[in-house]
Amino acid sequence: MKKIETERFGQLEIEEERIIHFPEGILGFPEQKNYVVLEHSPGSAFCWLQSVDNPGLAFVMADPLQVKEGYVEGLSPEEKSFLNDNNNIDPIIMAIVTIPRGEVEKMTINLMGPLVIDSENRTGRQVILANSGYDHRYPISQN
Amino acid sequence: MLVLTRKVEESITIGSRITVTVLGLKGNQVRLGIKAPRELPVNRTEVYESIVEENINASNAPVDLNKLNEKINLNLKKNGA
Repeated sequence: MKKIETERFGQLEIEEERIIHFPEGILGFPEQKNYVVLEHSPGSAFCWLQSVDNPGLAFVMADPLQVKEGYVEGLSPEEKSFLNDNNNIDPIIMAIVTIPRGEVEKMTINLMGPLVIDSENRTGRQVILANSGYDHRYPISQN
Repeated sequence: MLVLTRKVEESITIGSRITVTVLGLKGNQVRLGIKAPRELPVNRTEVYESIVEENINASNAPVDLNKLNEKINLNLKKNGA
């Protein structure tokens, strides 16, 4: 078990096996390479990617496959292969949600730059689907 | 920044595994061919920077998001629909 400090969730104890290693970090945050996925609330469509090394750094994530029909099918064969480097186990694909301060209803999801997590060897990376035509600020609230 | 001048069909080699070749010119547009190992993604800089900027914006998620589920109806496709 590992104790980690977080700004949003206080001190947490997490199993080492839950830690996901991003060799290149996440774009814009190359130094932070270790994260843990935290549930937002039971049954929620959202979850959190909390940095293990930086207590203040966390991202809200949601499943792009639920936001956009045919999210994977709509990709070119080359871009599909970016998502599945391993060809072994289906990767977990999540996308980062941006919530403008004070305007929760204007939240958007980054469909162009998903996070791909290999659950078998607990690694992750951010992929840029530049030719997909997908929006890096796709609105997801229906209010 | 290292500045080199190349003619069409000439290349530059970065490290030992990356090659950039000038394939052609048309007006003020340059066509570049890039050979790089698969694990090094190549992107137009403005696309790369837009993802960096969006990640930075996203990292400022408000701390208290307890109302996230109550207020928002996510535009989600229902499973099996």
